Amino acid sequence: MLKLYSSLLYLYPASYRREYGDEMLSVLASVQAEIREKSVLAQAHREVREAVGLLHGAMQEQLRSITGSHGNAMFSPRRMPMRHEYRFPKSAAVLMTIILVAVLFTIEKAETVSHAYANYDGGPLIWVEISVLPAFLIALVLAGAVAAMGWAVIYALRRSGIHRMSEVNPSNAQRSGR
Amino acid sequence: METPPISEPVFLILLSLAMQPRHGYAILRDTEEMSNGRVRLSTGTLYGALRRLLEDGWIERFEDEDTSRGKQAYRLTSLGRRSLQMEIGRLKQLTRVASLRTARKES
Repeated sequence: MLKLYSSLLYLYPASYRREYGDEMLSVLASVQAEIREKSVLAQAHREVREAVGLLHGAMQEQLRSITGSHGNAMFSPRRMPMRHEYRFPKSAAVLMTIILVAVLFTIEKAETVSHAYANYDGGPLIWVEISVLPAFLIALVLAGAVAAMGWAVIYALRRSGIHRMSEVNPSNAQRSGR
Repeated sequence: METPPISEPVFLILLSLAMQPRHGYAILRDTEEMSNGRVRLSTGTLYGALRRLLEDGWIERFEDEDTSRGKQAYRLTSLGRRSLQMEIGRLKQLTRVASLRTARKES
């Protein structure tokens, strides 16, 4: 099991692994020794919890190394105080404006088409036949585009909250408060 | 200005280091014991919190005879102790209000 834990540690950023890797393995070895005498079920439960903990920790540390944000694992997000200032960063405002323009443009085009065919009497409209595979691919691409836009907005909003919270250095805050 | 409220696992980690320096495994055992088995930290979660606490200067590394055997001990800094005291004060105030409110409701 220690080999698995050791492999999972490779999911952490290299700098983190250098700093805490040996210590973590030492703790994991102690945990293994502790649970050796417990039931198989208890052992499995603890081992899964340790593996999930390592995966979650690795994800957070990788995210931190990519975004530069501290993350907010220790300070409970559900108790994050409300902030009065303007929360949306410029990137979120720009993205939302682009989405709004796209929606307005689509409505405008739809109205144009409906007016153009309001008095249409040139026989039945010819439907374009689309087979299953291209239709599926088109739907996939559209869903991907929508998801990417949604992710971009959420990412921008997330940075507005967590990023700013991480800039609050408790040590400075406390010093200035005294 | 106050520090943001801290999560229960971190509160327990700080409490664990309040009496004496401890290394990772001892912190795991102590937090579990203090919470009557309710809070069981995994090693990954513990070290995520320790890393952040170290960066914020709430705890520091402490050299002892176990350090050379891969067991790094940690201890509270004076800043960490003050932050812990603030959190305890906040919780005391909250429980005082809770007691008053529930007592009024019951009467």
